[in-house]
Amino acid sequence: MKLELRGITKRFGDLVANNNINLVVEPGQIHCLLGENGAGKSTLMNVLYGLLTPDSGEILINDEPITISDPKDAVAHGIGMVHQHFMLIPVFTAAENVILGSEPVRPWPLLDHRAAKKTVGELSERYGFDVDADAVIEDLPIGAQQRVEILKALSHEAEILVLDEPTAVLTPQETDALIEVLQELKAQGKSIIFISHKLREVLALADVITVIRLGEVVGSTTPAQATTTSLASMMVGRDVNLVVDKAPAKPGEVVLKVDDLFVEDDRGLTTVKGVSLEVRAGEVLAIAGVQGNGQTELIEALTGMRRATSGRVAVGGVDTTKRSVRGILDAGVGHVPEDRQEHGLIPSFSIADNLVLDQIDDPKFAGRFGRKLKAIRENGEHLRTQFDVRSPSVDTPVGSLSGGNQQKVVMARELSRDLKVLICAQPTRGLDVGSIEFMHRQIIENRDRGVAVVVVSSELDEVIALGDRVAVMYDGVIQGIVDPSTSREEFGMMMAGARSEEEMA
Amino acid sequence: MTAVTAQRPRQPSRFMAIISKAREANIVVLSVISLLIAGAFGAVLIILTTPSLLTSWESFFSHPGATIASSAKLVWWAYESLFQGAVVSFHDLSTWIGNPTKANLATVLGPLSSTLTYASPLIVAGLGLSVGFRGSLFDIGGQGQVIAGAGAALIVGFSLHTSPLLQVPLEMVVAMLVGALLAGACGALKAYTGAHEVITTMMSSRIILALLPWFLGLGFIARAGFHDGASKTVNPEGQLPLLLGHISPSLTLNLGFPIAIATVFLVQWFFNRSKTGFRIFMVGQSREAARTAGINIKQVTILTLALAGALLGMAGMLELTGIEQFMSTNFGGSYGIDAIAVALVGRNKPWGVFAAAVFFGMMQQGGQIMEATTGISQSLAIVIQAVVAFCIATPFFVCDIFKLRGGERLAALETSAGWA
Repeated sequence: MKLELRGITKRFGDLVANNNINLVVEPGQIHCLLGENGAGKSTLMNVLYGLLTPDSGEILINDEPITISDPKDAVAHGIGMVHQHFMLIPVFTAAENVILGSEPVRPWPLLDHRAAKKTVGELSERYGFDVDADAVIEDLPIGAQQRVEILKALSHEAEILVLDEPTAVLTPQETDALIEVLQELKAQGKSIIFISHKLREVLALADVITVIRLGEVVGSTTPAQATTTSLASMMVGRDVNLVVDKAPAKPGEVVLKVDDLFVEDDRGLTTVKGVSLEVRAGEVLAIAGVQGNGQTELIEALTGMRRATSGRVAVGGVDTTKRSVRGILDAGVGHVPEDRQEHGLIPSFSIADNLVLDQIDDPKFAGRFGRKLKAIRENGEHLRTQFDVRSPSVDTPVGSLSGGNQQKVVMARELSRDLKVLICAQPTRGLDVGSIEFMHRQIIENRDRGVAVVVVSSELDEVIALGDRVAVMYDGVIQGIVDPSTSREEFGMMMAGARSEEEMA
Repeated sequence: MTAVTAQRPRQPSRFMAIISKAREANIVVLSVISLLIAGAFGAVLIILTTPSLLTSWESFFSHPGATIASSAKLVWWAYESLFQGAVVSFHDLSTWIGNPTKANLATVLGPLSSTLTYASPLIVAGLGLSVGFRGSLFDIGGQGQVIAGAGAALIVGFSLHTSPLLQVPLEMVVAMLVGALLAGACGALKAYTGAHEVITTMMSSRIILALLPWFLGLGFIARAGFHDGASKTVNPEGQLPLLLGHISPSLTLNLGFPIAIATVFLVQWFFNRSKTGFRIFMVGQSREAARTAGINIKQVTILTLALAGALLGMAGMLELTGIEQFMSTNFGGSYGIDAIAVALVGRNKPWGVFAAAVFFGMMQQGGQIMEATTGISQSLAIVIQAVVAFCIATPFFVCDIFKLRGGERLAALETSAGWA
């Protein structure tokens, strides 16, 4: 099925989110939409899916103009959408989720579970999906949940599948599996619109790449003609530096000292098993490792979000092991949490309020007669400019910002305090190239100012780019602390559980 | 298959611009529409429940004009007396203008005085609920806190003979303290064991209600010579002074009203400016983000419910020392429950709560007068009150019917009221 978007324009007040966008997706084609966060990719797809009404422009399927006024129309026209945040019911099984909205009932009004399972089984088989129809969604790994979401779209006989940032939540292995699935779908004649800002996977997957910047199509290209660098500069409109530009670290005294730390997770399993670390002022210690090897619990223990079962954490010589979150923040620890939406920000609050979330008691922002709203606003204006947070005003709710801008708010807030230690968990997850570059520069600037920085990231590129030393974590244990120039193979082996050679020696 | 129609912006006429502005959903438009819906609903009820009118509708086709006229007349009369009974009677007003005596003035001020008297404790109770909602906590057991607060104030009220300057504040403090302890205990249960506050506050309220007859029967509480569960009376020093007593002692408006207004200002400040209010809102909006920002969730949870309870205890004290002066087994009416509706209709905004409580007071007082003059049951006023509450609490419903824009925004306000 051929899809064409012609002259789509969508405004939100003064902001033109989509300006006269033209896009043609041929049958059996994987068409990647590439653009920074906030470039207007999601707006365009929401127009296509009937969630937004365009101010002008038309949508054609097989050269016939069609009207899409709500998602039901979109589905009826064979358009299927896989959202970034899955629209699945966690306590239902895969089969139940797939049939949701078009439940087979026989005899009426009883659900025909067998038919449902059969549909799911057949679809799963036809497209080579490995989905257990009886599995409850919340028990499935993210990658499998995503496949259920895709199955759901296919069960409505979607001919065009739109995937909004599908790999943002996936592990590298799951990403590979997804790419295989998409290739299979393509081979069966489905058209796919793949929204992403990850250059590498776009190059690996796309037939055609269309780059969007500031609501306009910058140009179309193919993987054969493009390189990561050329795509990146198309996205941000300037040449970007994918390697972090930094001088060698000048480590000072030890600021953060972790001694034989043991931490349990929510289920009571010990996930951090005797971690010892030292981080000096003016250096970045990057912690690499596949997610779920204790990094989350380690960070939580360092920031007071979780009590360590044993061991000791000291910041600047002061024991903070048993301190509250507040006490640790006050000791000079900045925390950029892994999940900015859940932990870092309050989406319904304004940018200005979010920028003082952990500084309520600071005399700058609160006096005898309560919070100093003017000072809070001014602080907001100042940081908004300094960190280039793109938003109409500091009164805008943070929840309406794009991911990159949200992360800038978190980073701006933490860096606006007087820090000894900065702990960043997945600081650039889901961000576009421009924002990643910006975050990295901020981190390095603070390192050079004498802050001891810990960066936890599951992206090896980031770890290598940022770290002055890299600790690799596997199964709750630091496998070794190595130089970032260590080969990728070596890193790969350490992340899979092999001890580092340096350590052995 | 038709083309997606390109929506060219048309030049709107001036008139259309005004209409368009009015269709932008906001709380004023919503309130007006809610009142109109409730009024129309009430009109139908009046006609259906008045046999003579129903009979006249049987001959609608022979005398359509007369039928509609007689129905309209009765509906108008009912609403007129409802309003006059709640705010001011035009007849009394013209009498007073013609003959400005104290007695006539007292008659003019009577309805409004009664309305505001009734509303005063309700304002404070509604504010208490809204403090809880602000932190996404639902203190459904306000009734118990109202009674407990009043009980504490009662003991101070009848046992001391000091100056009103000392005794009234003392009553208020003990009432707030007891309310805060009761609700705060539920907060502690939530903070330390995870017990849901809806259950614990509701059950604690049940316990207080069950203990009330026992309390009233205690030797030092019960009024000598009474066996129907009436308590001693608050001493004059402990009663809230009447504001319009110099005009007529029948004007019941008392110090409770200015206290309620002061509380509105205080809660307004608390929500907008105070650090604690901000913390409560943070926890209400995102527990995890609040925790990450170093907020002690347990402490804030307890504090939120304790503050809510303090205000409900204070409402009980205002009811006792401003209106009833003694306690009986049905003390406090349904303040604790009405306060929930008041907080929701007021959309958690302190002045919204004020307006909602005054509206509830109007319906209460006006309904009585309406029944006395027109014979239409005062339940009609309750129905109107309920329909208005329903419409304001479900903005989507109203916005959908009247094609208003921005229902999502109003509904979003609703979620921040914290029905978690």
